[in-house]
Amino acid sequence: MATVMSTVAPPEQKHEPGPERERERSKDRVIGVFRATPFTYATLIIVSAVLCVPLVFVVSIALASDQTVNANTFTIIPREFHWDNFTRVFGTDLPMHRFLMNSVIISLGAVVGQVLSSGLVGYAFARLRAPGKNALFIIVIATMMIPAQITMIPQFILFKELGWVNTFLPLIVPNFFSNAFNVFLVRQFVSRLPSEIDEAAMVDGLGFFGIYRRIMLPMLAPVLIAIGIFTLTATWGDFMGPLIYLNDESKMPLALGVQYITSTSQALQAPPWNLVMVGSILLTLPMILVYYLGQRYLYEMDISGGSAGVK
Amino acid sequence: MMSKLRRREAMWFYLFASPWIIGFVVFLLGPMIASIYISLTDWDSFTAPEWVGLENYKRLLTDDPVFWKALWNTFYYAAISVPLGLVIGLWLANLLNKQVRVRKVFRTLIYLPTLVPLVATAMIFKMVLAPSGPLNDVLGVVGIPGPSWLLEAMWVKPALILLSVWGAGAATVLLLAAMKGIPRELYEAAEVDGASPIRQFWSITVPQLTPIIFFNLIMGLIGAFQVFSQVYILTKPVGGPDNASQMMVPLLFNEAFSFYHMGYASAISWLLFAVILVFTLMAFRTARRWVFYETEVK
Amino acid sequence: MGVAAGVITLTACGSDSDSQGSGSGNSSAANLVMTVWGGENDKTTYQKRIDLLVKKYPEMKVTLQLIPGDGYAQKVQTMIAGGKGPDIMQVAENVNVYSSKNQILALDELAGKAGLDLEKRFGSIAKIYSYEDKVYAIPDRSGAMIVYYNKTLFDAKGIKAPTADWTWDDALSAFKEVTVPGKQWGYAGGGWWAQWWSFVYQNGGKIIDDSGKPAVASDEVIEALQWTGDLIFKHGVVPTKKQYADMGADVGGDGAFANGKVAVNTTGFWGISGLTKSKIEWDIAPLWKGKEQAVTAFGSGLAISRTAKNPEAAFKAIDFLTAPEAQQQIIGTGQDVPASLEVQKSDAFLKPAWMTKPVNMNVFAESSDFVYRAPFVPAWNEMQKAFDDGLADFWLGKQDARAALTAIQQRLESIVKPAG
Repeated sequence: MATVMSTVAPPEQKHEPGPERERERSKDRVIGVFRATPFTYATLIIVSAVLCVPLVFVVSIALASDQTVNANTFTIIPREFHWDNFTRVFGTDLPMHRFLMNSVIISLGAVVGQVLSSGLVGYAFARLRAPGKNALFIIVIATMMIPAQITMIPQFILFKELGWVNTFLPLIVPNFFSNAFNVFLVRQFVSRLPSEIDEAAMVDGLGFFGIYRRIMLPMLAPVLIAIGIFTLTATWGDFMGPLIYLNDESKMPLALGVQYITSTSQALQAPPWNLVMVGSILLTLPMILVYYLGQRYLYEMDISGGSAGVK
Repeated sequence: MMSKLRRREAMWFYLFASPWIIGFVVFLLGPMIASIYISLTDWDSFTAPEWVGLENYKRLLTDDPVFWKALWNTFYYAAISVPLGLVIGLWLANLLNKQVRVRKVFRTLIYLPTLVPLVATAMIFKMVLAPSGPLNDVLGVVGIPGPSWLLEAMWVKPALILLSVWGAGAATVLLLAAMKGIPRELYEAAEVDGASPIRQFWSITVPQLTPIIFFNLIMGLIGAFQVFSQVYILTKPVGGPDNASQMMVPLLFNEAFSFYHMGYASAISWLLFAVILVFTLMAFRTARRWVFYETEVK
Repeated sequence: MGVAAGVITLTACGSDSDSQGSGSGNSSAANLVMTVWGGENDKTTYQKRIDLLVKKYPEMKVTLQLIPGDGYAQKVQTMIAGGKGPDIMQVAENVNVYSSKNQILALDELAGKAGLDLEKRFGSIAKIYSYEDKVYAIPDRSGAMIVYYNKTLFDAKGIKAPTADWTWDDALSAFKEVTVPGKQWGYAGGGWWAQWWSFVYQNGGKIIDDSGKPAVASDEVIEALQWTGDLIFKHGVVPTKKQYADMGADVGGDGAFANGKVAVNTTGFWGISGLTKSKIEWDIAPLWKGKEQAVTAFGSGLAISRTAKNPEAAFKAIDFLTAPEAQQQIIGTGQDVPASLEVQKSDAFLKPAWMTKPVNMNVFAESSDFVYRAPFVPAWNEMQKAFDDGLADFWLGKQDARAALTAIQQRLESIVKPAG
């Protein structure tokens, strides 16, 4: 890489004398590509603002009165503040706390399953050599190309035969067998890690499982956490699976609870949009929190030392 | 003949891959075979299926204008939304990878759109895209007369692409995670050599990220060809004015669950499978030229 | 292929060996699963009725499954395809998807045995859910489409309340009076099937003729549709799609009426519960007439699935749920119009406790005589899609009714096949 770089002309801004530049760099050590300029801030603020306009809309509707909902005279910026809409959602006889608990159980089960299985399978596809591997990998990718909608009824029949209908099992257990998306993702991640590392470990006498557990797993932490986040948010928000497989109200997750608020007796009847938005906010908040707090494990790996192997 | 070591490695491969293999055989293979069989029948999902051979496929390819329309729309959508999503994702990830204050907040805000439940998103977008809605207000300020997005056959696909761009922040998660794994030494060396930030981005960041960009490309392609929810929630009747935004999966969903034509719907899904397969294989073909693996995967 | 064949066979013969055991000995002892759609109020109302049922027949156990909105048809389809259908299921316009495929039971015999006189209980809508002269679902909720009108706007122009005797011309001239171009419109429009079909039947037309063939290219149908379309583009008394989209997301007639933008709206009972909170002054009236009187009814019925273990018990439950005592709950919670005529004429319906304004609730009973029998063909959804697609340009004013309907007729001929 250094040879490539040596041909690069120095950028115009570097007019300062060498030693001063060295001193400055050692002080904050911000490399060019990581340096945030006012332009960076301006862009980020504009992008965030644009992305947030719809979200402010959500809040505005959530705080609107029933009259406003009926007449459909919403504004982007909240004009009214009916905070009681938030308590009204809990005032229904739907067991919201139960829904929340079910969501947590299903989502965590799915996350554990995906994280445990995906790393292993993805690593195997990236690094281990075996006859038939390429053909198998084509099948992995191919399974993603069939729309899930079309295998739904046969799959329902399968789970029915297993006696799993109206349990969490159809929603959790398949995750313990990883999925194509995650396998492919881990494979791509592993394939950009230098192979000298595991070759060295091989020489040191570590078996394949040892290499995976001691060497690969720490380096895969960011991607496994990313898989965890994806699985969590996808399962958390999914209502189609629970809708098909669960019958008892006491087993339903929060996403389905929000679906109840949205649902009306007649197709053309407007749902109580303010409560729908409250439900959406309540459904989204835990995920925002998880993402906000979880990103340090995802992105600050180099600080916590998790990816020490790369250095 | 395989050496003993090679055989041991192969054994470990199959052992490690067994969760996926077992899951595939148990949960997916049966339903997949079933759907192939169903695609060769006329089945309403209630009464016994009636064998019709390739009739469904024949009808789709020769006698169903809506199918071709949906296929074209899906191409259109994929051809624009996938590259756009990749570029925006990469651009945002690079911005977020800088040493920005409150970057956790920025990262969260940019990822947020993917977390909001679809029913809320749909409602909001209908308001934003109204003929005199905020988006057209903004366009008006710049002097562009905005269209009636969701009402006009010509503009409903761009509206769906807009919705996909709104969620482009989701791609930043993987890109950022991968960016964090790029050895710092590479940048330090480049800095010493006096490479500009832009040069560093193009010569180090992008090549190092190619495996993940490639992953995003493949997943983006598959996802775009299977676009469903956006069409389903944003356009009423599903598929927009006279199927102007009808796409493959909403089409097959309608056939399967509104019209009870399970056989026909299954046939659509296998044709869609074939289309996606061709594009994915093409992408894999080109990958050899631009995706840099540290180790050659064989 | 073996697996596939196995899966299909299972489906086809609907093995339900693992469904919950029915009662023993006592003929009405049963564990029934009942599926309905809707929101929270629907759940409360159905549960109240079930509670009454179980109080009367303690040997019955009824599990209510409320399936939210869009997911209902899909969930029920999956349940039945998986051989695990509900015992009692709510059905509406797509009832004959199930009846034509023998997935729900013909109820005439059970009704006869139970001594239930459908005509007496439900009047003109008694056999609305039939297929090939057999009844497949018992009406449960049924209200005619009614006219909502803005009293303030009407009074300002000195227009009297609409009546069932208004003609199309009377309606149009009233609409014209209250229209303020670009700001306020006389009528919310008839773009929904329930609306323009009413005008079709008023005009002597039919969507599906008596022999079961589509008949939408007839002059009567064309004239009725053209009249509906002219309200938008010729007379300007109905907002265009674009004008609607500017009123807010998903705003249709109901929303536009509630915020006073349109003076007249034709919709179902559900408008009332929304309007009790509205600031405008309003009342309801029966729909006007054309050459004859005709109006669409909204509602749903209860059917018994093929896989029900104890159809007698299921019918006994339906019989009770559609009888006055249980039906009263439907209006008690403001959910809908109960199908029972007796309840529709009772004080419980005419003056519901939750009603805050004097509203002429008698309109529903008055309208029930005018309800026409809508063609609930097995391919109902497909037929609706054909109309949606085929009329897209018409509702944008880019095509006339004759051209649109001629094309639709052609498409319908391949979708709707005469029964038998």
